[in-house]
Amino acid sequence: MELSNEGSNSVGRILAIARNTFREAVRDRILYNLVLFVLLITASAVLLGELTDGQEARTIVDLGLTAVLIFGTFIAIFVGVSLVSKEIERKTVYSILSKPVRRSEFIVGKYLGLCLTIAVNTIVMGVGVALALIYVGGTQLVVPATLCVVLIFFELTITTAIAIVFSSFSTPALSALFTFMIFVIGHFSSALRELASSSSSQIARLVFEGIYYLLPNLSNFTFITEAAHALSPSPGMLLGSSAYALLYDAVLITVGVVIFSRRSFK
Amino acid sequence: MGVKSKSLISVAVPILVIVAGLMLILPLANALEHQRPKMPAAWVDEDLSIVGGRLRGFVFGAEGLVADWYWMRSLQYVGQKVVAARDGEVDIDELTALNPRLLYPYLDTATDLDPKFMAAYTYGAVVLPAIDPDLAIKLTNKGIENNPESWRLYQYLGYIYWKLDRYEEASQAYATGARVSGAAPFMQLMAGAMKTQSGSRDTAREIYGQMARDDGDAQTQYYAQFRLMWLDSLDEQDGIRESLQIFKQRTGRCAASWNELLPVLKNVKLPYGRQFRIDAQNEVVDPSGVPYIIDNDKCDVHLNYLNTKVPTR
Repeated sequence: MELSNEGSNSVGRILAIARNTFREAVRDRILYNLVLFVLLITASAVLLGELTDGQEARTIVDLGLTAVLIFGTFIAIFVGVSLVSKEIERKTVYSILSKPVRRSEFIVGKYLGLCLTIAVNTIVMGVGVALALIYVGGTQLVVPATLCVVLIFFELTITTAIAIVFSSFSTPALSALFTFMIFVIGHFSSALRELASSSSSQIARLVFEGIYYLLPNLSNFTFITEAAHALSPSPGMLLGSSAYALLYDAVLITVGVVIFSRRSFK
Repeated sequence: MGVKSKSLISVAVPILVIVAGLMLILPLANALEHQRPKMPAAWVDEDLSIVGGRLRGFVFGAEGLVADWYWMRSLQYVGQKVVAARDGEVDIDELTALNPRLLYPYLDTATDLDPKFMAAYTYGAVVLPAIDPDLAIKLTNKGIENNPESWRLYQYLGYIYWKLDRYEEASQAYATGARVSGAAPFMQLMAGAMKTQSGSRDTAREIYGQMARDDGDAQTQYYAQFRLMWLDSLDEQDGIRESLQIFKQRTGRCAASWNELLPVLKNVKLPYGRQFRIDAQNEVVDPSGVPYIIDNDKCDVHLNYLNTKVPTR
């Protein structure tokens, strides 16, 4: 990994690492998944007319936004877990950390770089969905779908942060598994809370409530079904969800930094 | 800045960020729960967007899996409707008030994708008559067309016609089913019974008894058990009415309590050798274990409509 000399202050160094992480992702052909997505969405726009009963626009929203979430989650998990471990494996981490770069700056830079990659990926996919909607005459769904893409992006930033936390102390395979499990549990968070409220045992209620608050509630960012019904998230929901994501990201990245700072590379 | 204070900061700042972050997340998580806009009330009944029949060949051989999904969706769909209407009384033989208009499209799609999906046909034959009998007949005939070797589908077709009081067609359906290889002997008996005693309680008991013994479908068994409870309860109510009349003839008034009526009730015989069930409080209970209610004004008996699990109609 190259680090330019421009990073004389902390922010500059973080941005330099982030930019390099993004370049590396591009070099690793991560964005090639966009080709697959474009093929999927084009095929959907053409074929759904045959399969659906005049509901192409709604199905494109369901299919397209689910694809945005799944593709993004796979990138967040598989690239996220290898960001740190790859540097350690190739021993490039020594040359980076021997420069005046703090370990915290390294982790934050890596995280922001991957978020940038995911942002580009999500924006392109979002534009693809919007174009497909316009093609099939579902223009009234463009705004809800676009706002839904924003929520998906915030969800992906949390998934990325989780992947980085796990990769800061575990192997890539286990980190990917743990992150995926948190992703699944995160989407069942609301059910966990209902379980807590219906449980007769005080201890069980406390445990479920604890898990609910400790693990990210990713259903806060799930808005695909509503978007397919031309419903838009309220400004309060958008602001609240983004604040929730940013807070959660901050906590997770701090945990990642603390673990990585105490890690020995011997 | 000294080494000691630097080390302190490196510990304190992360702890502060983590604790403050989690403390802020708590109220935010609660607030976000109320921010989600409500879906339109009719969204559960929105027309299916995928035409199931056309999915064949587009799901890479997973037609069975997609059919399973539609089948499970149909169960949840009716279940959600019943749960949503739990404040009101749900008549299992008249579900049109719940407006479950997507049930047929779900089952039709499931059976388009998997024409041998017996559970879907069975469920349709049992539940659809309470919504739209014509669609129930249509789905069952579709099942027969796709599975001519299945005598059970003829049994269900006969059952639907019997429910509609179309005894001639019911008899024909049972008779046709009886000719299918491996058909149970009762099919021929039912064909005859439909012509001679179609409206009787015994015929109903025979039909529901056969359905309850159908080990292929738990939903059907569950429904049939309910109906058998209902028939038992009708017999019991007839017996209690008879006792009330005897008591009234003897004393010139209606029995004021179960204690007064029980000596008379002991001499009343229920069909098939069944006995009245009496709980610890000396009250006669229905098949779901809830005491019957004596109506002193009318000198009659009825189910405890609020608590009983026995169908009231």
